[in-house]
Amino acid sequence: MAQRPNIKIECRNVSKSFVTEQYTINVLDDISLQVEENEFLVVLGPGQSGKTTLLNCMAGIIMPDAGQILLDGKTITGPGPDRGVVFQQYALFPWKTVMDNVSFGLYIKGVEKSKRNEVAQKYIDLVGLQGFERSFPHQLSGGMKQRVGLARAWANGPEVLLMDEPFGALDAQTRYAMEKETLSIWEKDKRTVVFVTNNVEEAIYLGDRVIVLSCMPGRIKSQYPIDIPKPREYTDPRFLEMRRKISDDTELSL
Amino acid sequence: MSTAAILKKNSKLFLPVLSMSIFLSIWQVLHWIIGGEFLPSPYQVYLEAMRMFSIKIGGNSVWMHIYYSLRRVILAYLLGAATGLPLGMYMGWNRTFDKVVKPVFEVLRPIPPIAWIPIAILWFGIGEGPKIFICYVGAFVIFVLNSYTGMRYTDPLLIAAARTYGATRRQQLFNVAIPASMPSVFAGVQNALSMSWMCVLAAELVGAREGVGYLIIQGMDMYKPPMIMVGMIIIGIIGASLAVILRRFERVVCPWRRDLT
Repeated sequence: MAQRPNIKIECRNVSKSFVTEQYTINVLDDISLQVEENEFLVVLGPGQSGKTTLLNCMAGIIMPDAGQILLDGKTITGPGPDRGVVFQQYALFPWKTVMDNVSFGLYIKGVEKSKRNEVAQKYIDLVGLQGFERSFPHQLSGGMKQRVGLARAWANGPEVLLMDEPFGALDAQTRYAMEKETLSIWEKDKRTVVFVTNNVEEAIYLGDRVIVLSCMPGRIKSQYPIDIPKPREYTDPRFLEMRRKISDDTELSL
Repeated sequence: MSTAAILKKNSKLFLPVLSMSIFLSIWQVLHWIIGGEFLPSPYQVYLEAMRMFSIKIGGNSVWMHIYYSLRRVILAYLLGAATGLPLGMYMGWNRTFDKVVKPVFEVLRPIPPIAWIPIAILWFGIGEGPKIFICYVGAFVIFVLNSYTGMRYTDPLLIAAARTYGATRRQQLFNVAIPASMPSVFAGVQNALSMSWMCVLAAELVGAREGVGYLIIQGMDMYKPPMIMVGMIIIGIIGASLAVILRRFERVVCPWRRDLT
């Protein structure tokens, strides 16, 4: 018998709406989900489904109107280094070199320079950016920037990684490479991951489990455990079967 | 090599020389049209410059006059930076402080520095005081505005990113907002120096015994148009040199912007 897995991060009845002068938009409606330790959970939803809002709530950047989010059973009250975020728009500090970007979290924690550079170097190597330590973000391509984003989040040693459509701004070729890269980093250095995307293939390729959100307001529509062993092949019949099932269930066109 | 290729290769030297020659030619033609008394020719101005640099005017050489003007500008400029940058940055960072200070600043801001001359003379007498004060006002306003804008338009995503790493409010200020506002601050650093330099001349036109502005007034009093124009050209050359020096400085301080422009 397998041991009962640890629940790392959990949303309980989370709702969030944004109020403008004319109307109120319900973005998230009663979302409850649990993510096990070291699980790779993908939240799949069309634009406007509130998936980014959900992720920002988990990051503590915004607060839900109702419900709570628990990390190791404790309600979160704001952002913290126990959760690392990878942003779609990279959000790298343009005035910092790759090395200083990656070691930023450790710098905030007060880790001394030689130690934090050592850790940062490990993750720079892991994402394949050795030789670019002293480059500035504007000198890098989109894919390389997001590698810095991954390394920066990972290097800080968070318990949970929250990834907000991290490859959404990349071209298809780079995107495939980055998905592969992400899995290999995750295999080497396992963390609990919540990964948000609107891409079905990406969801099936990466996820241990895929949660599908409905649109406006965002509700959990269905869940799919993905049992295909990793690394997965896009042309594997089981992959295609899964893809058909989930696609039929999603309103991705908008 | 084609003509275009030669042009491209030498454009760094060739185009400025070309534009200068066109400028001087137009000047010469205007001199012929308007007449020598009102618009001296480039050559006359050149001769006058040679003469002025070899004698003392009002007891000082031209170099000393330049030194006096520059000293006023630099003093005022440093004072402006020391007070304007922190004020502007803090206004951009703290909403409450912004709301308190902004109305006063908005009323004082449109007053041209030159309009302060009479009151400055009243306050500081006729020595160095009012001249430095006028330059200070000019630089101060620009320092405040640019550091305020830079701070205010810091990408909120970068602040959010810093927050996810547990950065305190203070760390967000010093490690994110201030460096993020540097490009805008530097635009201000350059404009403030130009403004300060323009103001010193205005201040010197009113009751100075030394400085580049004084040279121009001397030219007017002695009815020597070439002398006035030498003064004007000195102003232009020094203003341009100051801008170049600051741009160099920006590249050292903001290396992440090296590949821009």
